[in-house]
Amino acid sequence: MTRTDSARASGDDAPGRSTTPPNQIWARATDGFNRWVAGDPAGLDELVAAMTPVLWHVVRAYRLPETTAEDVVQTTWLALVNRRTSILDPVAVGGWLTTTARREAWRVAKAGNAATPVEDEELAPRLPRQRSAEDAVVQRDEDRRLWAAVDELPERCRRLLRIVAFENRPDYRQLAADLEMPVGSIGPTRGRCLAKLRVALMQAGES
Amino acid sequence: MSELSRDALLGIVRQVWEERDPVPDGLVARMQATAAIAASDLDTELMALVERSTELVGARGSSAYTLRFVHGGTDLLLRIAVDGNRSRVDGWVVPPEPMTIRALPGEEPAIHDAVVSESGRFELTDLPVGLMRLRLEPHDSARPAFATPTFEI
Repeated sequence: MTRTDSARASGDDAPGRSTTPPNQIWARATDGFNRWVAGDPAGLDELVAAMTPVLWHVVRAYRLPETTAEDVVQTTWLALVNRRTSILDPVAVGGWLTTTARREAWRVAKAGNAATPVEDEELAPRLPRQRSAEDAVVQRDEDRRLWAAVDELPERCRRLLRIVAFENRPDYRQLAADLEMPVGSIGPTRGRCLAKLRVALMQAGES
Repeated sequence: MSELSRDALLGIVRQVWEERDPVPDGLVARMQATAAIAASDLDTELMALVERSTELVGARGSSAYTLRFVHGGTDLLLRIAVDGNRSRVDGWVVPPEPMTIRALPGEEPAIHDAVVSESGRFELTDLPVGLMRLRLEPHDSARPAFATPTFEI
């Protein structure tokens, strides 16, 4: 499955297209993991297909360049294969993967200073791929509006919300350490960041 | 715009990032290949190193040495030649058996492979130096793959 498939799969209750919610991705991951452990190699393919996009977004929130981010994702998959017997609860495989990826991303970012910050200017010109012509015009306005709303958020909010949005019930303690925030402030900060985004979207909608 | 729920807002955040920093083309396929190779290695039986020649230093700074591995009834002799930062491996499988030999440099997915000839010979050229292992995959699917332990070129 591709990003575009998932983005267009379902309803229009939210503005723009809706994306696959994390709990559905996690369920698919658990299913793949179970099949793989039971001896079906296609289960591993399914697990990797389900979780690689999530790992990408979580790792990129650590401002790692693309090639470094890809290395971190690869390290995460090798760790899963080598330590699969340590995952006792198949339901937890999604969380095990994102936690491992975040830890590795944090370690790499701290260590080599390989983290050339990913500047927004670098990201901005990358237009959405695989868009059909008639969608493009209507969609571009909508995208611009949403992007602008996210851009208005403080840096810390953007990173925190990106991780939280792709995670399924993230471990706040680890997250707090990674973002150098007190553990008790993650919940309130997330709430404030979401409130800011809500306001930014409303203002963008009125203009 | 009406009041948005938390889930709707997080959905928008996902959507924005999926659009502006999409998963690179081919990343999923590359990760599937990496995971599959690593997983097949888990069940791979290791050959034992039984012999290692002292290094033969040749002219112009090149060098060569031999390694011999066994597993079950299969004998694998390798002659490894290093020239600068590239290397080549000439191998003999005894008794000869149709199989594919894959060189696995470090943790990267396989990039070099060769098929054993009827006389049991194979060669892998233009390999990097550093840590290396060879994975032997018999074409007879009833025979499981096996691999050498990691050795350093």
